[in-house]
Amino acid sequence: MTRSILIAGLMAATTLGSAAYADKLDDIMASGTLRCAVVLDFPPMGSRDKDNNAVGFDVDYCNDLAKALGVTAEIVETTFPDRIPALVSGRVDVGVASTSDTLERAKTAGFTIPYFAFTNVVLARKEANIADFDGLKGHTVGSVGGTYEGIALEKNVKEWGSGDFRPYQNQADVFLALSQGQIDATVVTSTVASAIVATGNYPNLEIKGDAPYLPDYVGLIALRNEYGLLNYLDLFINQQVRSGRYQELFEKWVGGEAPDLTVKKVYR
Amino acid sequence: MFNYTFQWGQALKNLPRLLEGSLVTLQIAVLSMVMGIAFAVILAVARNSKSRLISAPATAWVEVARNTPALFQIYMAHFGLGQFGIYLSPYVALLAGITFNNAGYLAETFRGALRAIPATQTRAGRSLGMGPIKAFRLIIMPQMFRIAFLPTTNQMVWAILMTSLGVTVGMNTDLAGITQEINVRSFRTFEIFALAAVIYYLIAKFVTICARLLAWRMFRY
Repeated sequence: MTRSILIAGLMAATTLGSAAYADKLDDIMASGTLRCAVVLDFPPMGSRDKDNNAVGFDVDYCNDLAKALGVTAEIVETTFPDRIPALVSGRVDVGVASTSDTLERAKTAGFTIPYFAFTNVVLARKEANIADFDGLKGHTVGSVGGTYEGIALEKNVKEWGSGDFRPYQNQADVFLALSQGQIDATVVTSTVASAIVATGNYPNLEIKGDAPYLPDYVGLIALRNEYGLLNYLDLFINQQVRSGRYQELFEKWVGGEAPDLTVKKVYR
Repeated sequence: MFNYTFQWGQALKNLPRLLEGSLVTLQIAVLSMVMGIAFAVILAVARNSKSRLISAPATAWVEVARNTPALFQIYMAHFGLGQFGIYLSPYVALLAGITFNNAGYLAETFRGALRAIPATQTRAGRSLGMGPIKAFRLIIMPQMFRIAFLPTTNQMVWAILMTSLGVTVGMNTDLAGITQEINVRSFRTFEIFALAAVIYYLIAKFVTICARLLAWRMFRY
């Protein structure tokens, strides 16, 4: 008799215990809002239209995700260096912010499978007479500090032993510095470069061929220990590709064939 | 809640680089103070001038330097001048911005100090046969520096902290620049920033203590 009461009590305790534990995925569904960190000076992934609304590939991606979860999306603008603090301090649930999936960063943040891949191009001032990537040697160049291409370019400049590298805090400052002639060229993701040239605001900038870097795979980010959420995000990315929505969004914001998100000879 | 495990090892690994950056920070702060003091003396004297032609530009400098954010001043030195084809490197732009700011604040400090020195002191010097410049240099200026010394060290601390604004113009060799670089590379924001804050605190404290010791040696009667 006492034993059965004890067992019943233990069972009740375990059920209550597990019911009381809600992970991030539960929290999002319960709150009815999905808060996404999106970088809005990084067209066409994220920018503002003339009415100051957030638009772009990442914005649409966040809206799709919210729809799949059955909640409303809230876009929280962050800068590139601000993404992790926003995540860790609980201001956002997910980073839909073109985050390159480096091993160094994965020690801190949880990455999904790639949801997008960038190639990098050289964007230079016409007057600088830079024909291609090798022509950057000896010039003052710059990028957004700490980004995939920024880290790679800084390493190149160090190896060349001539010229200078300047890291800026955001993409807008890089283009400002470039158009003024503070720097002669930048290495930037092809999508951003074409978007910037297409605006016509910078008539003296030209794309000068590809940078010889590996494709820059970017993932969504969430807290490292939120496996329920990360699993959901992985499946969501898979479904976006499967359903053709990935290609549709790519055509809408970039145009052409969407980049392959798989890496040959290995699983992820 | 705070969903994060601190990994101090990751931050401490970068300590040598941060200390290298501290030297650059200190260097910029010292240079900006030396030049700032020189400009400030000129500005303080110019503001007291009877001629509007001399006092107006000095007043304008002081007004802008004191009433706009230092961030704006540094940003203007880099991107503002860049618009006119004058290219200052991040280092020079940062140095110029802080010097401009220092000069503005110190000019007011010095002007206050000058006011505190009785006019009879100048007259006494002149009556000994000194010219106006010599009287200023030998009698007024030493007293002015004595009165303004502690407020000046205050500005020195402020100059050290202002160097952290250099990251906005692409500065990557000072303490803040290196901190930011390690941060975006590793995403260990809290540890790296905390470490940098401690270093800033220690530098500022070191400077304050040195200044106190110096004042004690120089100004005792």
